[in-house]
Amino acid sequence: MTIIKTFDTEENKNKFPKKYIILSILGLFMLTIIEIWASNTAVAFGESFEKLSLSEKNLKMENQILKNEIAKKASLSNIASRSAELGFSVSQSIQYIR
Amino acid sequence: MRIIWIKSFFLLFFLCIILRLFYWQVVRAEFLQAQAEEQHFTDVRVAALRGNIFFSDGFLMTSSNPSFSLFGQPKLISKEKKVETGYLLARNLVGGEENIDILAKEFINKLSQDLFWVSLERGLSFETKKKLEGLNLEGVGFDLGSNRFYPEGSSSAHILGFVGSDSRGGNKGYFGLEGYYDGELKGISGLIRHEKDAMGLPILIGNFLTSDAKNGKNLETYIDRSIQFIVETALKKGIEKYGAKAASAVVMDPKTGGILALASLPNYDPAKFSSFPKEFYKNPIVADQYEPGSTFKVLVMAAALNEDVLKPDTKCDICAGPISLGGFTIRTWNNQYRPESTMTDVIIHSDNTGMVFTSKKLGIDKFYSYLENFGFGSSTNIDLQDEFSPEIRSKETFKEIDLATASFGQGIAVTPIQMVRAVSAIANGGYLMEPHIVKTITDEEGSFEINPKIIRQVIKEPTAQMVKEMMVAAVNDGEAKFAKPKGFKIAGKTGTAQIPVAGHYDANKTIASFVGFAPADDPKFVMLVRYDEPSSSIFGSETAAPTFFEIAKQLFTYFRIAPSE
Repeated sequence: MTIIKTFDTEENKNKFPKKYIILSILGLFMLTIIEIWASNTAVAFGESFEKLSLSEKNLKMENQILKNEIAKKASLSNIASRSAELGFSVSQSIQYIR
Repeated sequence: MRIIWIKSFFLLFFLCIILRLFYWQVVRAEFLQAQAEEQHFTDVRVAALRGNIFFSDGFLMTSSNPSFSLFGQPKLISKEKKVETGYLLARNLVGGEENIDILAKEFINKLSQDLFWVSLERGLSFETKKKLEGLNLEGVGFDLGSNRFYPEGSSSAHILGFVGSDSRGGNKGYFGLEGYYDGELKGISGLIRHEKDAMGLPILIGNFLTSDAKNGKNLETYIDRSIQFIVETALKKGIEKYGAKAASAVVMDPKTGGILALASLPNYDPAKFSSFPKEFYKNPIVADQYEPGSTFKVLVMAAALNEDVLKPDTKCDICAGPISLGGFTIRTWNNQYRPESTMTDVIIHSDNTGMVFTSKKLGIDKFYSYLENFGFGSSTNIDLQDEFSPEIRSKETFKEIDLATASFGQGIAVTPIQMVRAVSAIANGGYLMEPHIVKTITDEEGSFEINPKIIRQVIKEPTAQMVKEMMVAAVNDGEAKFAKPKGFKIAGKTGTAQIPVAGHYDANKTIASFVGFAPADDPKFVMLVRYDEPSSSIFGSETAAPTFFEIAKQLFTYFRIAPSE
């Protein structure tokens, strides 16, 4: 069986292959593009971040307001006046059963 | 030669440039860096929420509610738009054409000033802010703040105090718990420092420094919401029924010193404190001095029994009639005299001559020492900001007549909290407790319990038992017996003290009070009720005592205590 080897001159054997150089440059170029894209996207998120932050603040505020409303409705002065409206009254006599 | 000159000129020129560059990049480097940071960084203050205060059952006494301040930026609003802006804002804030007109003119005046920023309105609710934001007005904005919210309205006003402003415009608590615990309640503001772009929006991949806000601590109190409500309702009814100028009541747990309820009338709404007279802010229970009158007799009697100079059945040998002393005549309240009254009879009938006998047996030295031991003349250290303790005059200034009158509670000044604390020593077997409103202080990291504190033992347990029996007899057989709830063993004493006016006592003006505890064998509460200048009757037995018993009846039901007799 004959193995045919490509004949390469001594000069060419010592040179670094061109394709690796081109691939590296292409790779670096792609990374640069990706980095620029990522930075731009992250920078532009500032506005969304601000909106989300504002939304969180508003929700926390509404939550606090609701808690306070519940506390007001559950207050004894409110319960007493609502009970009176509904016809409840103070018991006049209490029987103790032993 | 010319070439040398030109070379030198250029050399000098470049030297100047280098020196100037050195100046800006080295000498002024820090200044420029600071300026750049100011342009690139923005600081956002994160306000700390003020802590909440709770009743003993976990219900809210007070919390913070978001509120907004409306501001205007006059330089951003054109002249033609100022009037329209003013009227639009006013229409959405007030009702009634007249009010709208007044408010709109106020806004237009402010917006017409040559200023960058003007405050227009404060204390706006979240809903109002959303409504105004919907108008999309230029040159108008909102600052977030908070104000205190009181679910029970003006209830517990004297316990809480209120939150006002300090000299720098920040929130500060005054009076009551808000004042006493202001440091714990206010918290520490945080800071967010981040890089911003040309639009002022945060740059996420930029530098981001945060210092978290530390919210204020929460306070859990001994105050029982139901007992507080019962006491306030009874006082409101009583002040009207008896035509009194003022009324106050305090309920304390004698075993722990925990204050279960504390109320005074007239009071104020802490949410609108500036609309009320400043005199109303003071808590009479801790800051108002008065002469205790006959309620003081139980303490003097306790001292004499503890010193073994008397026994409950010791007979008074000077009680047959009025007593002359130092140019004065001491009479009983009703001018009735019982020769050979026992000490128990002296308490039952509130006999002033019997108390003169007691004080003579006790002597000034021992009397004064018990005065101090019972805590009079010094603060109780209750955790409310405005406590005041009236001074007791020095022992050397006490003459025979002073000792005699002090034995029945005249010529001596105390505060209601001092009085109720002293009587609770009789209720709990002889121990003087430190009164407290707050039971626990909590924050995100944990909680800190304030343990009950015994100051000292004032009287021995057998003495406390003897005085207790005398007080039970006073309730069962004394002037207030008709108002007493049937079947319950209540220990108590009425007091009717004349008010000193311009160097003499006014016979028609009194402080009517009743102090007691129940159930006598295992007291759940000690209570003092006081009316200032009741007009329907000057006597404690006919005003303060019925209110005390009315509250006690409801407390028996609340505590599920059945009659024992």
